[in-house]
Amino acid sequence: MKTFEEKWTAWLDGRLSGRELIEFESSLPDLAAAEAEKHDAHKLGAFLKKELGAQALSNEEFFSHQLRERIARETDDRSNSGGIRSTWWTIPRLVWSGATALALFFICAVAIMRQHQPGEQSEYLTQILKSQVDPVANPNATISIFESKNDNKVTVLWTEGLQTLPADYAAK
Amino acid sequence: MQTETTPAQADVSELDLVKRCQAGDSEAFDQLVTRYRTRVFAMIYNMVHNEQDAWDLAQDSFVKAWKSIGRFRGKSSFYTWIYRIVMNVTIDWLRKRQIKAGGAEFDDSIQLKEIEPASKTVPKADPLPHQRMERGEIRARIDKAIAQLSPEHRAVILMKEIEEMQYHEIAESLGCSIGTVMSRLFYARKKLQNTLRDVYENV
Repeated sequence: MKTFEEKWTAWLDGRLSGRELIEFESSLPDLAAAEAEKHDAHKLGAFLKKELGAQALSNEEFFSHQLRERIARETDDRSNSGGIRSTWWTIPRLVWSGATALALFFICAVAIMRQHQPGEQSEYLTQILKSQVDPVANPNATISIFESKNDNKVTVLWTEGLQTLPADYAAK
Repeated sequence: MQTETTPAQADVSELDLVKRCQAGDSEAFDQLVTRYRTRVFAMIYNMVHNEQDAWDLAQDSFVKAWKSIGRFRGKSSFYTWIYRIVMNVTIDWLRKRQIKAGGAEFDDSIQLKEIEPASKTVPKADPLPHQRMERGEIRARIDKAIAQLSPEHRAVILMKEIEEMQYHEIAESLGCSIGTVMSRLFYARKKLQNTLRDVYENV
């Protein structure tokens, strides 16, 4: 018990005893006034009990009857909807639903992955052509083409290991 | 807490009835309803002050109890458990209505019905017209005073003074601490003492 309100309520309802009671009563500035208020609170309690305690349910049997009907109706509704659900959700349907959901998931995943290709990390689309130009003269030559993705259409040709250019390249 | 039971029903323990309910026995639930319907209705009525609303909320509470009885573990008594449901349903309803009414603490639209003063356990004697009028006025003053309390304060004062429940039972029913119950009781009593003193001093 901590607050004054709690102590007061306990005192009023006769729940304080021994040292607690002595301590609380000695802490009150006017014990006589507090006793008068206690008496007044008891009067209020008795008055409320007398005036409100006799409220009767006018038609008890009808109340129970109506309640029984309502419970029966709600129980029926629940079992009916449960029954429909159990016949609809058969195992083949569940399997098919699962398979369809999985297929949809993969289609969506592939579509999303295509939209987010790592090409966005570089400005160029790299295409490495591992073609060998005149394998006798340039046995290890590779050609790479870097192409700009934007409208500039810049293309860079990167060659490596090329020792001689083919004769027809010079002409072009 | 007293319940309305016949001697035959009293033989059947509450826990047995609850176990039967949990096994789907609606007749056992019917017996529990019979035990608590009047008290549940009276409790709700004292909070909402309208017979039809109290009837509907009591029905809703019992339906909710039936649906969730499987979750009752017997850690508290059944009536504390059902009161918790009743309080949740009623306080929710009061809060929603308060929001609809624009947050007003007291709703003047509450209809003050003529109250039947005698329960079925009290020998019935028809009051004289002036006595009936006087009772009606007193009841109207009480209802108005209670309606000015917050739903939580209403619940605490009614459970303590009318149902004579213990602090821990009220705390369990409202899902709060004993300290909170005592504090709410302090403020609810103070407010009712201020608003109703002239009535209960003169009765």
